[in-house]
Amino acid sequence: MLEIKNITICYKDRPAVKHFSMTLRQGEIASFVGESGSGKTTVIRAVMGLLAGGGRVVEGDILFEGKSLLKNTPAQWRKLRGVDISMVFQDSGTMLNPIRKIGNVFVEYIRTHQHISKAEAWQRGIAMLERMRLPSSGNIMNSYPFQLSGGMRQRVGIAMAMTFQPKLLLADEPTSALDVTTQAQIVRQMMELRDEYGASILIVTHNLGVAAYMSDWIVVMKDGEISDSGNRDEILNGVHSDYAQKLLDAVPSLRGPRYV
Amino acid sequence: MFEEKDVILEARHIVRRFPASGGRELTACNDINLTFYRGKTLGLIGESGCGKSTFMRFLVRLDVPTEGEIIFKGKDLTKLKGEELRQTRQYIQMVFQDPGGSFHPKMKIRDIICEPLMNFGRIKPSEKDAVARKLLEAVDLPGEFAYRFPHNMSGGQRQRIAIARAVALEPELIVMDEATCALDVSVQKTMIELICKLQKEKNIAVGFVSHDLGLIQSFAHQIAVMYLGSIVEILPGEDVGKARHPYTQTLLRAIFDTKMDFTKKIEPMDSEIPSPLDAPAGCPFQTRCEHCAAICRRERPVLKSIGKEHKAACHLLAEATV
Repeated sequence: MLEIKNITICYKDRPAVKHFSMTLRQGEIASFVGESGSGKTTVIRAVMGLLAGGGRVVEGDILFEGKSLLKNTPAQWRKLRGVDISMVFQDSGTMLNPIRKIGNVFVEYIRTHQHISKAEAWQRGIAMLERMRLPSSGNIMNSYPFQLSGGMRQRVGIAMAMTFQPKLLLADEPTSALDVTTQAQIVRQMMELRDEYGASILIVTHNLGVAAYMSDWIVVMKDGEISDSGNRDEILNGVHSDYAQKLLDAVPSLRGPRYV
Repeated sequence: MFEEKDVILEARHIVRRFPASGGRELTACNDINLTFYRGKTLGLIGESGCGKSTFMRFLVRLDVPTEGEIIFKGKDLTKLKGEELRQTRQYIQMVFQDPGGSFHPKMKIRDIICEPLMNFGRIKPSEKDAVARKLLEAVDLPGEFAYRFPHNMSGGQRQRIAIARAVALEPELIVMDEATCALDVSVQKTMIELICKLQKEKNIAVGFVSHDLGLIQSFAHQIAVMYLGSIVEILPGEDVGKARHPYTQTLLRAIFDTKMDFTKKIEPMDSEIPSPLDAPAGCPFQTRCEHCAAICRRERPVLKSIGKEHKAACHLLAEATV
C-alpha cells in the first residue's frame, strides 16, 4: 500500500536520509527506531509531504496506493491529508490552536473534509473521543488544550487523526512525552485501531520495547540509513548488526542486568 | 544493607502546600519520610505531577517545605540561612533534566566545571586548566573539551559535564532530576554506568528521580514509589518484582521491554490521575485501584513494614514484623 523506493532526502545539500526503501501492506504496523538525528522523523515527514526547513526528496519515489506522492499539487495534498493519510505528533497540544476550544477545532477539521452540519460534526467528534475512552467527552469538547493533561491531549490528537478512518496513520513519537501508564493506554488504543479499521500504522519511536510490542516490521536506522530491518523476531533474536545489538542492550528491562 | 550509621540525610514528615486559585490549596508533598544512605542510590519514581521533583528540590534548598524537617549532618536544612546555608550547599549537588538549560551559554566548559570550586576557594585560578582536565577525564570525556562551549556538544556530553560539575566539590549527596530522560537509550545506558562508577569511587549517595521503573531498578538500592504527593511503597531495588502495592504493580505491568511476552494483552488503567487540587480523602490511589474497599475511602493508609526493608501504604496489605 505504501512503497518507499530508494529515497534520498536532503536539507540544503546535506543528505539526512540516504537510499531508504521499505514497503508497508494494509493493516501492518511498522516502526522506525534509532537515535536522535538518525533521520526517522524525516522519512515520515516526507511521506506526509511536510519536510521542514527546505528539505526535499532528491532521489527515489514514494508510492501510496500506486500513485506517487511527490508530484502532488497542494490541492491534491489537501484531499489526501487528514482523510487517507493522517498524522499524530509528539505533543498533540502544540497542534491544537491554544486559544480555541477543542470542539471548535474538531468541528472545523471535520467540516473541511465533509459537508455536514455543525451539530453532526460535533456529535461525530464526541463519538470519536468516546472511542478513545476519554471520560466526559462533552466536557473535553468545551475545554481549551491547556486544560487537558498530556495524555488526554494525545488521545484527542489520535481521535482527530482517526476520524476519517485513514488508510495510513503516521505517528511521530506519540508516547515519548507521556508517563508509562498513559503510554500503555495509547499503545493499546493504536493497536485496536489497526484491528478494527485495518489501518496501516507507521510509528517513529525511540522506545524499542514499544516498537517490539506493536510492530509487525521494525526498521532500525542509523545516520540516515537502514541498519537493520525485519519482523520482530528477526530483529530481536535473529542475526542483526552490532548497532541493533547495542540498542537492544541499552533498553532498561526488568529482566536486564543490574549495575549495583 | 541499610545501616543506621550510614544515614546521611533524613527527611521527616515533609509537607508542601502551594496556594491555588479560589483560596484552595494544592498539596504537592504529603507527609514524606525518606532516608538517604552513604554510597547508596534512592530512586524516586512516579507519574508527572506527583510531587517527586518538588521533594528533591528541598534537598538542595531550592525551595522549603511548609512543614517537616530535613536532617543533614545533625542540622535541619530547612532552617539554615546565610553563610551556614552556603557552606552546606557544597555537600549536596544537583544534576538537572535539561543539561542545556543549566549552563551559562557563554561560559567555557572549563569555567563551568571549576565554578563551584572557585566559589568555595578550593582552587586558585592558575589551577583551573589542570583541574578541569582531571574532572573531564573522570566523566570519560577528552581533556580538550575544557575549551569548548556548551552548544558545541551533544546532549549526552553536556549531561556528563553537568555530572562533572556536580562531583567537583566531592559532595556527599547528588540529586538527579530525570537526568537521563532527554537522552537516547544507548547514551542513557552509558550515563547510568558512569553514575555507578563515580558512586563506587567516591561513596556518594544519589537521589534519582525518574518515571521509568525499568531504568530505576537497574541501579537503585532502594526505590520509593510516589503517587499524588504520598509515598506508597518503599522497597529494595533488586526486589522490584515483589512489589505489593497495587499502584506499583500497575506501573510494572505498563513497562514495555524487548524481553516481554508479546502475546500478552496489555491492560492499562483507563482513568486519569486525579488533579492534586481535589485529591480524594483517604487513600490517594482509591479512584484507580481495582481492590478499593470501604476503608480506603475513609482513612489514609500509612507506610507500614510488610517485609525486609519493604514498606507499603495500603490497607489491604498485612503488616509484618521482620
